[in-house]
Amino acid sequence: MSSKEKEAIHMDPQYIIRLTVTLFVTCVVVAACLGGVNAVTAEKIAAINWEKTVTAMKKVSPDATDFSDKLDITDAMAEAAKAAGGTLDSIYEAQSGGAKIGYAIKVVASGSQGNIEMMVGVDEENAVTGVSVVKASETSGIGTRVIENENGVLDQFQGKSAADGTLVVGTNVDAITGATVSTKGITAGVNAALAAANAIG
Amino acid sequence: MNFGKQFKEGLITNNPVLVQVLGMCSTMAITTSFMNGLGMGISVLIILTASNVVISAIRKIVPDKIRIAMFIVVIAGFVTCVDLALQAFVPAVAESLGVFIPLIVVNCIILGRAESFSYKNGVLASAVDGVCQGIGYTAVLMVMSIVREFLGAGTFGAGLLGAEAKGIRILPSQFPVGMLTLPVGGFLVLGVLIAAMQWALNRPKKKKEESK
Repeated sequence: MSSKEKEAIHMDPQYIIRLTVTLFVTCVVVAACLGGVNAVTAEKIAAINWEKTVTAMKKVSPDATDFSDKLDITDAMAEAAKAAGGTLDSIYEAQSGGAKIGYAIKVVASGSQGNIEMMVGVDEENAVTGVSVVKASETSGIGTRVIENENGVLDQFQGKSAADGTLVVGTNVDAITGATVSTKGITAGVNAALAAANAIG
Repeated sequence: MNFGKQFKEGLITNNPVLVQVLGMCSTMAITTSFMNGLGMGISVLIILTASNVVISAIRKIVPDKIRIAMFIVVIAGFVTCVDLALQAFVPAVAESLGVFIPLIVVNCIILGRAESFSYKNGVLASAVDGVCQGIGYTAVLMVMSIVREFLGAGTFGAGLLGAEAKGIRILPSQFPVGMLTLPVGGFLVLGVLIAAMQWALNRPKKKKEESK
């Protein structure tokens, strides 16, 4: 086949239309299939995610019996969290017997291998009641030691509040050897959660 | 059609990972624990077989010029289906594999088989090819996961067996070399496996040449 003939195929409008239609039809069919699968799985995935969130919230606010739906995030809260080194994801009210006993705050801070999503519980005095990691991609065997709360690295935040000043690894927070960056990520997240909690009230 | 021959090709003589050297990224990234290797292997097996069948079925109506785009659309569709299904039915696996499930879209094994096999062969042969190549990929992932988990963490079957699915401890925790679960360990184990495979594949040939 000479190059001239090849050129001719390129220019043939019928051929171009055929390409377009074939690709378009394929995309429509695939999209329809995906819609079907999504309809089956969406509810289940949402339920699993909510269950995970509740499990994480129970861990960080052990006294709570119930949790509210997501609260509205104001600009002041989001900015306070950002200034402290994390991103505010969502805030839930922790309740016991219908009365408010604190907040469960989900924040995102950057660790050594990507973002660490964590849940931080605070009581009514805005002191930390617990920290639990929801999602992280830290190095297996090193950063994961922080995520798994080795040597109580996550427990040490309990009782800390904004009154203790900004939490800094090395001064008022102990890191796990070899996993300093992951510990710093968690600390930034706790700082952000405390800042956001202060911005609520 | 020769099922035995295709099976042998997928598992040994034309193994997607060790001989074709495809899909390196996922192979090294996720083989840190037993369940990761198994979950990834089976996901790829399902996607590979399904996309092989569909691509082979539509191969006569796919215009040559846009075949790669068509392949990718079909593959991406199946990957998303598997991703959603994993999240809904086995959330633990979906969580530990994370972004590597969506990344199967760009796994060269699947596009490679589409281009080199199912675009040129019938539906049944393509299905068998998908299953055999998938088994070959899964087998390598399993071997790598077991070796890396055993030497790197000292356990067997993490994510599936043992208390809290943390695996059954074989080596006391002071012995394992953590490095093996890091990317470095992936390169080392994969290198050794490829070398062993090449040695095993070349051995019979050399004997024949010598006897001549």
